[in-house]
Order: sequence, then C-alpha cells, then structure tokens
Amino acid sequence: MGARCTSCGAALELPCACKACGALQPLATERDPWTELGFEPGFDLDEALLKKRLLSASRLVHPDFHGADAASRALAEALSARLNRAHAILADEARRADALVVLLGGPDESTSREMPREFLLEVLEWNEVLEEARQAHSWSATVESLRDELAVRRHGVLADVRALLAPTPARGDGRLQPARAKLNAARYLDRALGELEALRLSATRS
Amino acid sequence: MGYIELNVLNQPVAPQQQGALGIDLGTTHSLAAIWKDGRPQVLRVEGESALVPSVVHFPRKGAPVVGQAAREQAIAAPKDTLFSIKRFMGRGLGDVQQELATLPYAASETERGLIQLEVHGRKYTPEQLSALVLRKVHETASRALGETAPTRVVVTVPAYFDDTQRQATRDAARLAGLEVLRIVNEPTAASLAYGLDQRDKGVVVVYDLGGGTFDVTVLSIEEGVFRVLSTAGDTHLGGDDFDAALVTLARTEIAAAHGAEVLADAGCQQALRLACERCKIELSSAPRGEIHLVIPERRLAWRREVSREEFEALVAPLVERSMAACRQAMSDAKLAPERIDEVVLVGGSSRIPAVRARVAAFFGRKPHSELNPDEVVALGAAVQAHILVGCKRDILLLDVTPLSLGVETMGGAVSKIIQRNSTVPCSATEGFTTYADDQTGIDFHIVQGERELAADCRSLGRFKLRGIPPMPAGMAKVGVRFHIDADGVLTVTAKEEGSGASASIDVQPMHGLTDAEVEGMLASSFEHAKDDFEARRAADLATEIGTMVHAVEKNLNAARAGLDKESLLDLEEALARAKAAARERDARALQKARDEFERASLPLAALLMNNVAQKALMGRSLDEV
Repeated sequence: MGARCTSCGAALELPCACKACGALQPLATERDPWTELGFEPGFDLDEALLKKRLLSASRLVHPDFHGADAASRALAEALSARLNRAHAILADEARRADALVVLLGGPDESTSREMPREFLLEVLEWNEVLEEARQAHSWSATVESLRDELAVRRHGVLADVRALLAPTPARGDGRLQPARAKLNAARYLDRALGELEALRLSATRS
Repeated sequence: MGYIELNVLNQPVAPQQQGALGIDLGTTHSLAAIWKDGRPQVLRVEGESALVPSVVHFPRKGAPVVGQAAREQAIAAPKDTLFSIKRFMGRGLGDVQQELATLPYAASETERGLIQLEVHGRKYTPEQLSALVLRKVHETASRALGETAPTRVVVTVPAYFDDTQRQATRDAARLAGLEVLRIVNEPTAASLAYGLDQRDKGVVVVYDLGGGTFDVTVLSIEEGVFRVLSTAGDTHLGGDDFDAALVTLARTEIAAAHGAEVLADAGCQQALRLACERCKIELSSAPRGEIHLVIPERRLAWRREVSREEFEALVAPLVERSMAACRQAMSDAKLAPERIDEVVLVGGSSRIPAVRARVAAFFGRKPHSELNPDEVVALGAAVQAHILVGCKRDILLLDVTPLSLGVETMGGAVSKIIQRNSTVPCSATEGFTTYADDQTGIDFHIVQGERELAADCRSLGRFKLRGIPPMPAGMAKVGVRFHIDADGVLTVTAKEEGSGASASIDVQPMHGLTDAEVEGMLASSFEHAKDDFEARRAADLATEIGTMVHAVEKNLNAARAGLDKESLLDLEEALARAKAAARERDARALQKARDEFERASLPLAALLMNNVAQKALMGRSLDEV
C-alpha cells in the first residue's frame, strides 16, 4: 500500500493506526471498506481474517485506550467509527457487493431502483402473502414456507451477484448494471425476511 | 550508594489519585468495587453489607439520609422516602404513569419535559437524587479503603438504556462530584467479571434481571476482546414487578376480608410492598413463603401462605416477557441456542428458581451463577475502570447501541440512520436540504426505537440547525453527522457543504439537562458541598491526629530516654492537647492542633531517625553503604 506512519515512519498494515508505535493516524478522507481493513477490493473475503483484523485494529484505535486528552479521544472515536462501519459493510455479503458496485463506478441504490423483470412478478405474489400475514398477525404454515422460499431465493440471488462480480470486473464494466438490479432484488428479500422474522418473534410472544 | 528507607512516625497516606472506582448504580441497591491486589474487589466496610440501598429520605429538618437508614423510613414516612429512582432517569411524566400509580410520592414535569419528584414542597430531579446515592456509595467506599476513594469512576447502566437515560446517569455522577471515565452496560460489565474468572473464548449470553430493568446480551469473547453481538431488554421489567404481583394478590384478599380502606395510606402500602418482597425472597430457598403484614394502628395482623407453585403461576407472564427478549437477541445475533457456550445469570431476581429453570430450558444448559449476582456488575465495572486508567491493555470491550436511531420524515415515519446492535463508536451522515428560498434553519426530530412511526419511538428531542447561508430552496447541502460514542451517547454535528464555505452549523438539542441546568444544580449543591467538604476535612484531620498520637505514644520510652528535658515536656503537653483536640469538629481548630503537634514531635522524629539509622548501619562498613 505504501502508506507510512506519520509518527514513526514504519509501514502501515492498516491505515487507521500504526502497529509498531501505536500512534493514531490523522483523519483523512474516508476510505473504502477494503482499504480500511487492509484487503483488496473484491466480492470474496476471508471472514475469519476479517474478524481477526477487526479485533487487532480495535485494540489500537478504541477510545478506551486513548482517554488521556480530549483530542486523542475524539480522534480515536472517529477512527473507531470508520473501522466499525467498514467492518459492518464487509461482514455482510449483500452490503459488501453493494459497496463494490459503487466503488467500481456502477450505479448506486438511489440512482437505479430497477429489479429483474421476472422477479417483479414474484414480488407481487409474495406481497399478497405478506399482507395477509400482517393482517392476521400470526405465524402459519403458509407464512413459514414463504420464509423458507425467500431465504432460498436470497441465497440464489447472491450467487448470481457473485458470478457477476468475481473475479473483480474493471471500472465501468457492463456487468455492474445487472449486478445492481440483482442487489435491489436482494434488498427486497432482506426487507421481507426481516419483517417475517419480526412477525415470528411477536407471534411467539402471544 | 543505596538509600536506607526509614519509616519513623506513621505518616498519613496520600489519597489514592491513581485508581478509579467501578460503581453499579442499581434500581434497588448500589455498590462500588475497585481493582486491588491483582483482582476486582467489592468495597465493604467490616460488619456492614456492601450493598447501599438506592433510597433517599428527606427528614423534616436537616440533610437527606441515604441508604439503609433511609430504607428504614419507608414505612414511617412514605411520602418523604424515595426509591426506585433509576426508573425515572431520563424519563418524561408520560413514560412512567404506571410506576407513579403505585408510588406514594408526588411527581411533576419541568417545561422541558423532565420528571421531578416532590418532597416537603421541594422538587428534585432523578439526577439530583441519584447523585445523593452516588455520594453515599463513594463515602462508603472511602470508609472501606481507609482513605478518600478515587473520584474517577466507571458507572454502569442497563444495556437497553436509551440516550436520554445515559445522559441523565452522566449528569448524576457529575452532580456527585465524580469524573465519569465511561458508562458501561451492565451485562457487558458482568461478562468482564465472569470472563476473567471462567472462560477466555466462546459465545456467552448474559441474562440480567435486576430490580427494575431486564437486559439480555449475547457476546463473543475472543483474544481478550469482549464483543457484543446483540442486546435486547425491557426497561420496565425487574424484581419490583415480581413484588408487585404479590402485592396485587394481597390487596385483593385484604380488601375482601377487611375492606379497601385498611390499606389506604401510603405507609401501609409500603409495609405491604416490603412484606411481599420478603415473601418473594423466602420462596427462592423454600417451597413455601408467607406474606406477613402487621399494622397495629388498624389492628391488622394478616398472614397469607404462598406456595412456590402459586408464585410461579403469578409471575409466569413476567418471566415470559424476559424470554421474548432472549429470542430477539438470539435472532439479531443470528444464533440458535445450541451455539451458546455459556449462560450467566446476573441480578438479585435471577435467584428465583422459576427464572433459573426457564433460562436453563431455553438455552439447553445450566446457567452459571458462581459469582454473586448482586456484585458481579460492580466487579466488572472495576475491571473496566482499571483498564481505563491505563493499567490493563489486554482486555477490550466492544459494545453496541441497543436501539436503532432515526429521523422523522415529513409523513411521520422514521428514516433509520443507524441500525440497532451496531458496534459503537459508530457514525452515520445524512443529507438535508431547505424547502424555501433563503431558509437559514432546519428542524428535525431524532428518535430511537424499532417502530415504523416516529410517534411510537423514544424521542431524543428536536434539533435545530441554524446558520445556513441564504440560498435558493433545495440548494443547501447540509450534512448532519450522527455519532454514537463508546458510552452509547449521541452527538450531532452539522456542516453546510454546498456553498463551499463548510460552515459549522449550530445544533441545539431540546431535551435533557442543558449544561446551564447542570451548572445550576451544581451551584446549589455546592451549598451542601461546602459543608460536606469541611466536614470531611475535619474527619481526615481527626484521623491524622489520631495516627500521630498513636505513633508518639508507641515511642514514649525512647523519648523519655533520649530527649532533652525541655523538648520532652513540650512533647508531652502537645500530646495531651492533641488527644483533646481530636474530639473537635471544626476543621480550622483541628488543622491548628495538628500543626502544633507536628512541630512538637520533630525532636522525637530526629531522635528516632538517628536510632534507626544507627541500627541499620551496624554491621556495615562505610564502603558497603
């Protein structure tokens, strides 16, 4: 990467702090999540390594270890917030893919809301079942099988995204548009699954 | 050449400035702990309980009474004895209607929507009352340590406390004259105490059922990092509610047998509450308990046996509420119960057998309670305090924000900015723009919670942005950064980016105590503080004089043998005066007495130093020294 510690000049493994001398690095423009955690941008990621890096980076930048003065603490807070955000994005496949599409110059969620055609037809059917479930406020066999179906579909959609984004395409590549469409579908599925889970939990309560 | 250490007269030890306390500020009890001799230890005065009841009593005249002495006034003076204060921290009147219905004291609201409790016509905020409890805890800690306890503290809060509740806790500590290093979530603190003791890797669930609040936290412990995966809870569920279930049963039966008026007054209600609490505690170790209520003035002596089965049926809905939160936390962590390695029970009410059984059944394993469930939170806070004063770098807490943070949109819905269970510190930026030409301000409403409508969430208040440079509608690009810090507290900053000027926008929160209000309270508490300070100084000086007297008396024979006549007489007179002065209360008089005594002891000190030096040097040649 080439970045060096502003305090001791050692090569930086991670941009937020120096492992050699412990110095917090100054706050620069926000980096993409891969750079923040020392990875090459891409869809595939070693999750065990990601966790290890989060833990060791946290030990360097967490405000609990920089409470000596207000300025250090404030810097530590800002660096930790960035680190945690980067980790949250990389730890979730869909968010990771979304960040990758944007990083490669592809459309982001607000500019392109389209979903694959055939998917839209299924969405209409699913919405009907969801609406019934909302009204009944209960967990039935129908709703459970909808949940299972959506979970399987999500898995499939993300496999499709992976096929489009791995190996990592070039900037502006034509595959970024369909990848965005698939990610919009994944987002719908995540929302629906989230709602179903909330319904399941509240139904168990009563 | 080395220096031989001489300890001649016992010198008073300087107050411990280096350390920090861990304080569990509980709904029913509070206590302090400190890291000492390589481990966290609860600070206990010999012969007393370590637990300080979180109760404040205001007598008709004189200073407020805090702790056990206050608790004892609950029946005789129910309107003047305030308890469960934690339930009111950071709350508005509307939030606590249910609680207030069962409590004997009057409450009102300030214009900013803060709750105040009224005693003897004076109003007190929960922050002021909690500050009194914290002072008492600090004072107890000092007595346990034998010197002034550190004023730097880590204070714990329920994991499910929202932003206003956390700020109220910070304000209370500030009012008590304490420097808050960190606010730590109770289950996370408990896991710290437990982690040191038992396990260094795994997924742990902490089930924390306290006096007034319930939290369940799922954590991953790995390489010394305690990382919270999810947390859920209920800030209106605790041991108090288990008591209330028995109270309801008793009231119905007493009213039927003796008429409702017999329990009309506040004193009787308190007596009943305490009798039910005793019965609940009995049932934790015996299959039958008894509610025994005696009110001589009403010629009432009522006994009601309660079996464990009956109690369990009564409280089953409460236990189920806690299990609902467990399911939520597990769902958010995306883990099935089988993936959990250990379950830890925290909080006095976790001793209830029905609770233990239900938790064991849900997680499919026996929960741990080797550490005293009343003390484990304070112990964990002490560990964190030790870390923060720089003494321990191999342990780190990574906690989460328990509630989603959002902004109210035009239609009254919530636009979520930060998801619940996001690791803190965390930040998110949201863009706002103006809807009218030359609009220089924007108002927005921030809420915490999971509901779709802002009205159903917890309001953190309205924020005003001011100082936007005038420009056509829709052109201003105001970036608002929401930052939740390691304590779980929100800060909002804003910048107008479109104009290129990057002007920093002024953000006014319209809730909680403003800095001015806290200063005001501090100023009025300074009235008492000055008296307190004088009283403590007097106490410290009296102790110091006592120590010096003891040291001199121990060495009187040496003095008589070695001092010249004049110095000896001087010393003996000073000794007699010092012993008399030690009974004084005035700090100035005590200071004078102490200084005089010290001056008179100097010849003896010199004499003893020579003696000791001679003994130490005996047997050594000059070359060796």
